[in-house]
Amino acid sequence: MKRVFPIASLTLASLLLTITPLAAQAEETFSDAQLEVMAGGCASCHGTDGRLAGSVPTIAGRPADVLASRLLDFKHKEVDEVTVMDRIAKGFTDAELRALARHFAAIDLNNDNEPEE
Amino acid sequence: MNHRHNRSGLTRRQLIKGIGAASLLPLVGSAPFAIGGQSAGRVVVVGGGFGGATAAKYLKRANPAIEVLLIEPNETFYTCPFSNLHLGGLREMDAIAHGYDELKDRYGVRVIHAMVEDVDADAHKVTLSTGRKLDYDRLVLSPGIDMRWNALEGYDEEAAEKAPHAWKAGTQTELLRSQLEAMDDGGTFVMVAPENPFRCPPGPYERASLVANYLAQHKPKSKVLILDAKDNFSKQGLFTAGWERLYGDRIEWVGLSSDGRVTRVDADRLEVETEFGTVHRADVLNVIPPQKAGWIAERAGVTDDSGWVPVKAETFESRQVADIYVVGDATVAAPMPKSGFCANGQAKVVAAAIAASLESRPAPEAYWTNTCYSLVGPEYGISVAGVYRVQDGVIAEVEGAGGLSPADASDATRALEAEYAVGWYNAICQDTWGTSPGSRAT
Repeated sequence: MKRVFPIASLTLASLLLTITPLAAQAEETFSDAQLEVMAGGCASCHGTDGRLAGSVPTIAGRPADVLASRLLDFKHKEVDEVTVMDRIAKGFTDAELRALARHFAAIDLNNDNEPEE
Repeated sequence: MNHRHNRSGLTRRQLIKGIGAASLLPLVGSAPFAIGGQSAGRVVVVGGGFGGATAAKYLKRANPAIEVLLIEPNETFYTCPFSNLHLGGLREMDAIAHGYDELKDRYGVRVIHAMVEDVDADAHKVTLSTGRKLDYDRLVLSPGIDMRWNALEGYDEEAAEKAPHAWKAGTQTELLRSQLEAMDDGGTFVMVAPENPFRCPPGPYERASLVANYLAQHKPKSKVLILDAKDNFSKQGLFTAGWERLYGDRIEWVGLSSDGRVTRVDADRLEVETEFGTVHRADVLNVIPPQKAGWIAERAGVTDDSGWVPVKAETFESRQVADIYVVGDATVAAPMPKSGFCANGQAKVVAAAIAASLESRPAPEAYWTNTCYSLVGPEYGISVAGVYRVQDGVIAEVEGAGGLSPADASDATRALEAEYAVGWYNAICQDTWGTSPGSRAT
């Protein structure tokens, strides 16, 4: 990632320590069709492809490490100012949450030309 | 049936306009995103609510070369979610109205405003109310619910004009709202709530809340009485605590064990009679009757004795008829509730499964989530969430995930959940129809 946020990288570092040896282990990957289905529920509150802004925040185009650490915190930690995402994140594996983070990070918020051919 | 634009209200010209030249000549002037007129298969989607509209859009997203036809009688769809805000005087009908322009113009879905009158599963054909027959490779039914008329003695379509159900949004919602507005101060709003399963499990209790909120402000001597055919309901603890907090004893709930089950309705006298013979008189009577899958599901042969549609968990294809997929309230999908959120999610799984099957690929694994927000007051929101996967061939809630808003949440959290409820509504409507309230072209 080009932009590194101190808190996010700290969380990521602690993750690297708990899941060993991450570097040696291939990250579980999912097909595009699989990710589209996995991410389907996100759009029901964040808009199609996570692009919508409002009381529910936009998730499209945010850095993958920021999204991943946020999702993993929702799942594993007591997070303040959370209403429902802690209950949702607990339904996914860590690898799924990281894959979702990469999926939404890769969406270009400035180029809304769906459907793609 | 309760909509503004029924099929008899359409002129021939409007019908032809609705059908569109493209669909009369399938390969010429085809949908914007079809590649060179080469179709990857034809999918007919019946019903333009949360399930059907989402299925149509996500089929096109999965593969623009799939020809998608959406059959929906109405040009404007009113959502049940947030219709309780209209009843409570907090939202105009226009702000729960959605159209089909984005599906047509951006995604290349052909939208035909007609009814489907028959399904021939062997021949893979549907017959429209216009007499036209359409071939399909895959059929998606998203028919919603129909009322079981006369399951409660005396409650039929005619009675619903006097004692509205308002459980399909539209003219029924407006009728109930006008009755509530006309009610004298000191009157009783009586709601008859059904046993499970039914559309939107927390819906009756949100409705009672927002009616009480309206009464507290405009008719302070009035009450809400809920006569319930069951002993437990969705988010019961959270609702009960919220009612006490916001409305004191304005809302009275009578469950099954306390003789809450209504067995007879007299819509002319605005009276209901319970199992053990207690007669309650209402000033406004809202009867939410027992329900079943929308009629076309039965006609297509996909319903079972329960009146609902059993589906294969992985794909939501009918267990009874090949190449027919069913989504939304019509299906047996427990532990998923009958909610717009679930219909939207099921439709995405169906779209992916159909796109895969048309290319002879295996369907992706299914993932679903659900978040049901309810407003106890305009600034007091509560929610229940769930995450679902297929386990051992059945839909199961992922253990450790989901659950209710905390019982001891702060006022700030309740206010935040009320805000998120609005954010959710805007998002799911954008995701389904591409329209947020107020942005709809009329």
